[in-house]
Amino acid sequence: MNKIFRFAGVMTAATLAIGMSVSAAVAEMITVTDLAGRVVEVPLDPTRVILGEGRQLYAISVIDREDPFKRIIGWRNDMMRADPDAYEKYTAKFPKGLDIPFFGTASSGEFSVEQAIKLEAELVIFPLGQYESTKELNLLEQLGKAGVATMFIDFRLRPTQNTMPSLALLGKVFNERDNADEFIDYYLKNMKQVFNVVDSIPLADRPLVFVDRAAGITAGECCKTFGSANFGRFVEEAGGVNWGSTRIAGFAGDVNQEAIFTTDPDVIVGTGANWGVLRKGTTAVLLGHNAIKSENDKQIAGLAARPGWPKLKAVQNKRFYSVYHQFYNSPFHFIAIQQLAKWFYPEQFKDVDPSANFKELHDKFMPIDYSGEFFAELK
Amino acid sequence: MTDIVDNSGVEDGASKRYLRTARKRSIIVFVMMAIVAFSVLLDVSLGPGNFPLSDIIDVLWDENSHGVSLSVIVWDIRLPVALMALLIGAMLGAAGAEMQTILNNPLADPFTLGISSAASFGASLAIVAGFSLIPYAGTLLITTNAFGFALLASFILFATTRMRGVNIETMVLVGIALMFTFNALLALMQYYSSETELQKIVFWMMGSLMRVTWSKLAICAVILGICLPIFMWRNWQLTALRLGDEKARSMGINVSRLRIEMLILVSLLSAVSVAFVGVIGFIGLVGPHMARMMVGEDQRFFLPMSVFCGALILSVASIISKMITPGIIYPIGMITSLIGVPFFLSLVLKQRKRSW
Repeated sequence: MNKIFRFAGVMTAATLAIGMSVSAAVAEMITVTDLAGRVVEVPLDPTRVILGEGRQLYAISVIDREDPFKRIIGWRNDMMRADPDAYEKYTAKFPKGLDIPFFGTASSGEFSVEQAIKLEAELVIFPLGQYESTKELNLLEQLGKAGVATMFIDFRLRPTQNTMPSLALLGKVFNERDNADEFIDYYLKNMKQVFNVVDSIPLADRPLVFVDRAAGITAGECCKTFGSANFGRFVEEAGGVNWGSTRIAGFAGDVNQEAIFTTDPDVIVGTGANWGVLRKGTTAVLLGHNAIKSENDKQIAGLAARPGWPKLKAVQNKRFYSVYHQFYNSPFHFIAIQQLAKWFYPEQFKDVDPSANFKELHDKFMPIDYSGEFFAELK
Repeated sequence: MTDIVDNSGVEDGASKRYLRTARKRSIIVFVMMAIVAFSVLLDVSLGPGNFPLSDIIDVLWDENSHGVSLSVIVWDIRLPVALMALLIGAMLGAAGAEMQTILNNPLADPFTLGISSAASFGASLAIVAGFSLIPYAGTLLITTNAFGFALLASFILFATTRMRGVNIETMVLVGIALMFTFNALLALMQYYSSETELQKIVFWMMGSLMRVTWSKLAICAVILGICLPIFMWRNWQLTALRLGDEKARSMGINVSRLRIEMLILVSLLSAVSVAFVGVIGFIGLVGPHMARMMVGEDQRFFLPMSVFCGALILSVASIISKMITPGIIYPIGMITSLIGVPFFLSLVLKQRKRSW
């Protein structure tokens, strides 16, 4: 009798041990440092991931190239709303993307922790821009307590600085280091191609560039611009002097039109994306995967014809451009930097074809094809 | 002050009628209390998780009875949020009720008269400049600053009433001016803040119950525990105040002292609620009106009823905000207005008589 009990005990212990080792194999944990500087334990090669921001899919798609949705069990609807062209493209190729439930943003307390727990998420990837809010909400503690790991990546606050580490982190955690490394090399090569040329250009020869953030998104309203961040930094990387850098302390801010007229910048670059869904009757240049060139030629001419603008040097000299807005939250911003450099220094960059490079990027790294228009010029 | 009642109840019939009304009103208040309790229970038992009620009850009883996930969902997410909705709703309801009473104005509430805007500005000042009205506030900097500025706004408001020839209407106008001033200052702060600070401020301006912690709940409970008994203790004086300053004075009430006392408590209530959940408007205004329409002006019923109405609006809003789309918690302020306004209007239109 005693033996039977002992046998049963040993068997139970063995079963438990095997069971535990199996579950340990399912979720092997690794320690990483994320873009908020937190040292965190996250599951290696997780299969159930929630994206705190839908546009993180751009980066995911160069890591999980065959199927960017393969780990995604929840995301935010910002891609659907702000970049419907890309959303359409991704969900046409991967229809299951249409059925992935949406989560709210942490930045206004709309993210439901309960739903994340219910969906048995292993990892939630937040954009760094929501770090403060997640702290206010105790989101990270709540998720951690329920066994859901969290990490931050960033392509928006400090894109030129945080893109490579963000991609490396994704590669490490998703166990796709080769894909990440390959893209990081490509990124570095393309970034340095611009830097190596513009680095030697003296300050006096650099053009003054005004970035018109989301130009014409609301008809009749002008203007917002970037400080020395994001597109402002892209302009600097491309060898321009960013108008907003000396005037706006933070990330971005509002601009009085009069200030643009009195400084009369050499180059004006607006940003645009397909905001027709977001704002009816928008006067923005609708760049993106479904952009129609003839339409956008009209739109950019409209922006140049706003009251007072035809007198500006940039408009008269036809140095008035438009660039795909979503480069501002994607690892592909080096394409925008190349195009900016080419606009600033056409002679030095005459052999560089950013649109062709963007097509090459799609062919080499992305599950979706290149199409549409990502830049526009005033004719 | 009990003599007001005794004198009016000399006749036997009037006395009976009075007692009958009082009993009827007490019943309404108790029914409302039961509805609020039910709503809070509903808030705890509902969520995108769709767990059976029996499991929820088990976990409430024994935290670890159904695994760690459900324990986190009930104890860290649902319960604190449900209780926060109850407490904040109650605080705003009480603050609005006393504000309307002492200012003798149906439009008065901490939001319309700038006290909440002042609290928001104080908080954003703490976030952006680290500036503090109260030295060595440390981790409570944001909250104490919110309270400091709320108090400041209340005193400006009160100081105007002390001026010669200033009536209650002027006081309301001054309050509205304060609201616009502090809102403008708040907007101005956004231009001097970095991206990170801006995130915090914007977050702060949008009301959200999701920031709750157990210690914040405890503070709210303590503050309510201090303010409500004082309000009750001043019941008769406050009721008398609604008959007009002259009459109240003739009954021996120190009207300006009463006003100052109430203003301090109202500032405390609204500052703490703004500091913990951000700006949630509308409840302080509408809760008391709903209460008044149901139980009338007598503070013994009006105050608890306002508290329960406020709590009910916020609690129901909390349930709806998480149930529309699983995964998204809609902004509580938006839901509050959407569900409160139709209910409020239906009451107003049904009454069709002058309830103010």
